[in-house]
Amino acid sequence: MTVKKSDINHICDLSKLRIDENEISIFTKQISEILNMINELEEADTNNIKPMAHPMNMSQRLRKDEAILNNDRDLFQENAIDSEDGFYKVPKVID
Amino acid sequence: MERFTLKKLIHMISQREISSAELVSMYFERIKKYDHFLNSFITLNQESAEEQSLIADKKIHAGNYDLLTGIPYASKDIFCTKGIKTTCASKMLENFIPPYDSTVINQIKNSGAILVGKTNMDEFAMGSSNETSYFGPAYNPWDLERSPGGSSGGSAAAVASGIIPIALGTDTGGSIRQPAAFTGITGLKPTYGRCSRYGMVAFASSLDQAGLLALTAEDIAIFLEVMSGFDPLDSTSVEEAVPQYSDSVHDSIEGKTIGLPKEFFNNSLDAESQRILNQGIDIYEKLGAKIIEISLPNVGYSVPTYYVVASAECSSNLARYDGIRYGYRDDDIKDLDDLYRTNRQIGFGDEVKRRIMTGTYVLSAGYYDAYYLKAQKVRQLISNDFAEAFKEVDLIIGPTTQSPAFSIGEKIDDPVSMYMNDVYTISSNLAGLPALSHPVGFIDKLPIGMQLIAPHFQESRLLNFCHLFQQETNFHLQQPQAFFDN
Repeated sequence: MTVKKSDINHICDLSKLRIDENEISIFTKQISEILNMINELEEADTNNIKPMAHPMNMSQRLRKDEAILNNDRDLFQENAIDSEDGFYKVPKVID
Repeated sequence: MERFTLKKLIHMISQREISSAELVSMYFERIKKYDHFLNSFITLNQESAEEQSLIADKKIHAGNYDLLTGIPYASKDIFCTKGIKTTCASKMLENFIPPYDSTVINQIKNSGAILVGKTNMDEFAMGSSNETSYFGPAYNPWDLERSPGGSSGGSAAAVASGIIPIALGTDTGGSIRQPAAFTGITGLKPTYGRCSRYGMVAFASSLDQAGLLALTAEDIAIFLEVMSGFDPLDSTSVEEAVPQYSDSVHDSIEGKTIGLPKEFFNNSLDAESQRILNQGIDIYEKLGAKIIEISLPNVGYSVPTYYVVASAECSSNLARYDGIRYGYRDDDIKDLDDLYRTNRQIGFGDEVKRRIMTGTYVLSAGYYDAYYLKAQKVRQLISNDFAEAFKEVDLIIGPTTQSPAFSIGEKIDDPVSMYMNDVYTISSNLAGLPALSHPVGFIDKLPIGMQLIAPHFQESRLLNFCHLFQQETNFHLQQPQAFFDN
């Protein structure tokens, strides 16, 4: 399988990444090589095999529905580049 | 001088041969003297560590102390440390100061051990050479032109060179075992769910596991006891009692069965590595173990399975980095889309971008069944292979890597060749099994590792086998002499 530059642009749209124009061909080549390696999986016989979601076949554990205080907004916002009155501030993006 | 094991340091403290303050200052002196060659630390915690060592000494003096009180250790820079920068070796988190401690860091803090600093790693733990670090590669103390492996390369280089006695690492596909093999030390990846993932920056959540890099199995046993156990804050943590690992290391292995998977001993392993591994297997036989050949028929699919599952989980986990709530922020932007893309373009390195792109591709419309679902089924096949094998054997032995440490720059431009590095280690992550690498010999003065794999929650068996091996051999005592001149 070979991916095209247009595929790379599509993936970048989906994942909100940007690749410089002069780097697109190298990423296209590398992602193609990675997918070629991954395509070996086609040979594996997986008839009647259920997909494995957890190494220990565990299901999601739920905690008791009790109120706990673990959301200390002021503390967490200390890492924000810009915040005010409990809100995160971003550059103006709408005219 | 010789490297000190954790066990030796504990003894020295208890006999009052050295104080915690002296110990901490000795390691900082070694770091100052040698780390500019190794680049194994990203952040040092000197002032706080020195303060803590004085408090530890008061406790020791009063006779009111625990086993690890006053003992220095280092953490891979992927564990959140309250008030101490946690960068994950990424520009994205260059200035991130966590408001809380990860559970593992907290458990170790409660044990009395002292955090000396945060070690270098591949960016977001994505890499097998430590070269994807935003802060530059760490270097292998056995040959400074070579890689210490990755992603826990800084932890491995620091332990091997004796600038720290023990260090935390994480292992998603081999990131503890491969660096341990490349630097001639012992590294353990516990069972998935054994140690809490809370506060450990997520890469691939169904594979990530915290573990340790140290000089001996015994040292790992001591530390693992304090950092294991159920954590309600990690929804994949498993409720399973924590055994006294340091007690069972001495047990006899007489009559135990070791399986050698024929798929691990094929042409991809070089002849000299094969010869050295055979010598190691002979030692286990001498210790009373029975050796049989086994087969793991689907293990050859491990690398492609991993690069679907891990990349998919990576693309999902790293979607959180938008530069708004924390992380790199560029303000020279046009609109909201440009804000996200610019922050992620500048904040992430190339390997992280490749993994996000691969993961996004395999999860995208039209490809999900062919890639992600297929890989989850093959993952089940690989896991079934191990389950079958463990009906017959107590332990599986194989190589850790295909060859000794490679040179820095040798593989970095060829992702697939870099990914193949993990060919022997990845399968235990996919199956959630505990696995360990210990030194087994040298090729051209470069260390070689041997890998042991056990059933779920049988860390004690790995440490027991490895400890008996280390009682019989001195490979783990060999040290890179350039770092021990006086």
